[in-house]
Amino acid sequence: MSTSDTSAASFEPKIVAFLCNWCSYAGADLAGISRIQYPPSIRVIRVPCSGRVDPFYILKALLFGADGVLVSGCHPGDCHYLTGNYVARRRFAVLNDLLDFAGIDQGRVSFSWVSAAEGERFAEVVREVTEKVRQLGPNHKLVKQECG
Amino acid sequence: MSREDQLRKRARDLLAAREVVMVIGYRAGRRPGTTVPAFITRPEDTDKLIFNDRCGANLTAYLPRIPKTAKVAIVAKGCDSRSIVALLKEKQVERSKLVILGVGCEGIKVDGQLSDSCTTCGYPNPVIFDEMVGETRDMTETSDVSDRVPDPLADLESLSPDERWHSLMEDVARCIRCYACRQVCPNCYCPTCFVDTNNPQWVGKTTAGSDNMLFHLMRAMHMAGRCVECGTCHRACPMGIDLMKFNRKVARIVRDRFGTVAGIDPDEPPALAAFDPNDRQEFIK
Repeated sequence: MSTSDTSAASFEPKIVAFLCNWCSYAGADLAGISRIQYPPSIRVIRVPCSGRVDPFYILKALLFGADGVLVSGCHPGDCHYLTGNYVARRRFAVLNDLLDFAGIDQGRVSFSWVSAAEGERFAEVVREVTEKVRQLGPNHKLVKQECG
Repeated sequence: MSREDQLRKRARDLLAAREVVMVIGYRAGRRPGTTVPAFITRPEDTDKLIFNDRCGANLTAYLPRIPKTAKVAIVAKGCDSRSIVALLKEKQVERSKLVILGVGCEGIKVDGQLSDSCTTCGYPNPVIFDEMVGETRDMTETSDVSDRVPDPLADLESLSPDERWHSLMEDVARCIRCYACRQVCPNCYCPTCFVDTNNPQWVGKTTAGSDNMLFHLMRAMHMAGRCVECGTCHRACPMGIDLMKFNRKVARIVRDRFGTVAGIDPDEPPALAAFDPNDRQEFIK
């Protein structure tokens, strides 16, 4: 591969997407059955609730070489477990600010609310996140180097 | 009567009256000028108790390890008392099983210098206590910390993200993962710490840069809304890593975003265990 393959235009980022079972996962499903096109950059991990997403999941995805992470859940007030995403929102806020402080580029880790009825919105979020990570380029920070 | 004499007398009275089974305080260490935690159970041993500007350990760290049925007395500086409040919130200690002997703190000295965490201390006096031993420290000179000392994070925060990353990586690269910071921390009472589990293995065991950074970021995450910035971890670190950078940052995030300060109000839930439907969410699409 020539070096030009890693330029912003041709770099195809790997993004780990944690989608809540009740909203965003169904939103992704809707995008699929509606045949809405979006970049094939995300690897979906279905979680019961955005509140299930431990900051560890996000950081370990980056550690093991993901270029970006997307966490998506129900809109505030619509949580299947009533308050899961409210509690998660505080945790994500702290993580977001802490990662910024640690010098991990804003945009590497994204958060969104997508409901089960928002197929087009889900595709739009993935397009946006992919474009942002593409601009940032491959993830070098926090990636664990293989030894030997 | 000097503060130490008062402290010894109160400890002796409490033990002699069998009001408490143990007094947790400080005694002189083997090397001159050092102090170590003291666990006094007999009235005649109370003369060993001391208090000076080298009593930096946060004794609150021992409280979760004490059987729930035992009533103990504990010597608490301002920051230690805030740790007690933090543990009360998390139901790790019971107020009725504690006699808090508050002391006003003049700041902890390390090698003759004021300890880093104490330079920004806004709580030299205990926020919760049963009785004060000695003088309460005059608060007028410490009332507004931001006027007194420059912002310790300002230099770091003025750097670009890449420069911040490299600066912090340089710090944590020295970490030997001895977990002294965890051992001395009152907040670290988990029966099994995330660094000790093998399945799942949350943090790699190596001291490679990324494993160290993951450990320090997650340690900071777990301190969010709970750390009272007592600086005991910073003083315990054998490699001299500036852990206060992370501690101060998470405390500041929690204060700026949620308007709460850890270890002040025992009736308020820990910041990350609560929520407000109107929390700012500008970072969420």
